[in-house]
Amino acid sequence: MLLVRGMLAVAMVALGGVILTRMLALVPAGRLTVIPGVVLGAAMIALGVHRLALIARARGTP
Amino acid sequence: MARPKSSEPELRRSVTPWGSFSWGYSDVGADIFVGLGLVLAWAAGASNVAFLFAGVVYVCIGLAYTELAATYPVAGGGQYFVMRGLGDIFGFIAGWAVLLDFTIDVTLFAWTSVDYTSQLVPSLVNSTHPWLHFVVVLGLVLGLCLLNVIGVRESTAFNGVVSALDVLSESAILCLGFLFAFRPQLLIHTMQMHWPTPYQLMLGTSLAIISFVGLESISQAAQETQRPASVIPRTSVALILTILIFALAYSNLALGLQPWHPITDAGGHPMQFWQIFPHNADNQGKAVALLAAQVPIYGAFAALYVPVLGAVLLLISSNSGVFGSSRIAYAMSTSNLLPSVFQRVNRRYRTPMISIVFFSIIAIVELIFAAAPGLFPQVSVLYTRFFHGENGLEFLADLYAFGAATSYSFVFLGLIGLRLTDPLSPRKFKIPLNIPMRFRGERVDFPVIAVLGFLGIFSILMFTLRTHALGRIFGPTWLVLGILAYLLYRRHRRLPLLRSEKRNWRTEQAEILRRAGELELMDEYIANVKASDARRAETTTT
Repeated sequence: MLLVRGMLAVAMVALGGVILTRMLALVPAGRLTVIPGVVLGAAMIALGVHRLALIARARGTP
Repeated sequence: MARPKSSEPELRRSVTPWGSFSWGYSDVGADIFVGLGLVLAWAAGASNVAFLFAGVVYVCIGLAYTELAATYPVAGGGQYFVMRGLGDIFGFIAGWAVLLDFTIDVTLFAWTSVDYTSQLVPSLVNSTHPWLHFVVVLGLVLGLCLLNVIGVRESTAFNGVVSALDVLSESAILCLGFLFAFRPQLLIHTMQMHWPTPYQLMLGTSLAIISFVGLESISQAAQETQRPASVIPRTSVALILTILIFALAYSNLALGLQPWHPITDAGGHPMQFWQIFPHNADNQGKAVALLAAQVPIYGAFAALYVPVLGAVLLLISSNSGVFGSSRIAYAMSTSNLLPSVFQRVNRRYRTPMISIVFFSIIAIVELIFAAAPGLFPQVSVLYTRFFHGENGLEFLADLYAFGAATSYSFVFLGLIGLRLTDPLSPRKFKIPLNIPMRFRGERVDFPVIAVLGFLGIFSILMFTLRTHALGRIFGPTWLVLGILAYLLYRRHRRLPLLRSEKRNWRTEQAEILRRAGELELMDEYIANVKASDARRAETTTT
């Protein structure tokens, strides 16, 4: 179960990274309109990292 | 302080951390299935901004509920926190607004459950078969009422399975959608070319908040959760972030989606995906299923199961409305905010039958109001003339947004009140960003986030009153009728009308923590109380 949850968390971080990178690349053209997409990417990375930290704690690793 | 013993039967604390998460998820997670289409229809190119604003407010609300539910793990929810923080009459108003939301919840989610089913069963499409749609929704509401009367409750295990399937399904849709169908340039183009008017943006933002309603379930679950002060903060934060990410992800994806199959209007002109929602109530009611079907390759499979999964999740949420309204009414009745008839338990089934039937009847009345324009052309003319031609789904969403914004506004005020008047209760989870100060001789932490959250939700309440033609009439009418009934009841019982009954909150708090199994927190609370009393006695002597 922890493995599945870990894989989901990694997928979330990766997808968040993809969205964030693609949105940041459009800052010159989109300016403020990229904000919702940037927030989404950042939130996904934050949640994924948070869940990975919880999983690491559950496994007893630092 | 003595530890009182109670002979009354208590709810079994059998809800685990995952159970607590899935309980909340099956309630709040279903909201995006309803809210997405409505927001896309009104906020157009700013739908993601509407969700972002409502989402930030929702995070503040979620943090407030987390702190309150972990500190006061009782099954009263918002009305209990507000009653304790601000007084009886405000507790009644908050609880009455929540009851409006729960009754709307029953109808709205049963309605959209049928809408999602209509994706696979076209004879249930509301615009072409309004009577069949109405009869099926009515049948669902009556069926849920009957199930709750005879005591068949939703099982936490079933909720857990459906929630897990839904989280996996939504994650798959969003991952594949963002990887293979999302065009950031299209998102930027849509936002720049289809930015709504201020009125539409206000309307869209007030509708976006309905995607985040149901946090009451966190506090509802608190009374049945093992070690709630520890478990609730952990599960709530995960729940809040998951729901926020889904809402933001769906809205961004919908605006920047390159459809798998070309979408054209009646004239054969190509359309963007989000453009299928304005002026189309049928599509608004099943937005997630329509979006899932547009994900390349995976959409062929998703088109078959997402409507079923959505319909089941929505039905669970509808059931939580029937169950939750009777439980809130029960809690309000025990606090003398509602007549004792709402506490009466049926001898045969041992369920609050009167409460369940009463609020189910209100849900059916709301259904009739929502369905009337589709069923009777004369009523449709009336709605067009006086209420901007709102459809059934919009009528229900109006009231849902009104009830949520009203109750959440009071919850923020209740949190501020409790931080000032009850600083001695141990708070295992505390909202960050506080200003330390002294109030009535005690050191308190003034919550800045609660003030910001109140301003946010109050602005959404103002948007609702400004832009919702039916919500601004029926919502305040519900509150005024409720307050009149409350005053009559309190007068009849010779209780204070505008002031609160005298209660011993210290004894009650110790008892709450004892029942929750939080014995360390109970000891800490008793020690805080003794230290505070000693300080006061010392000050008086000197």
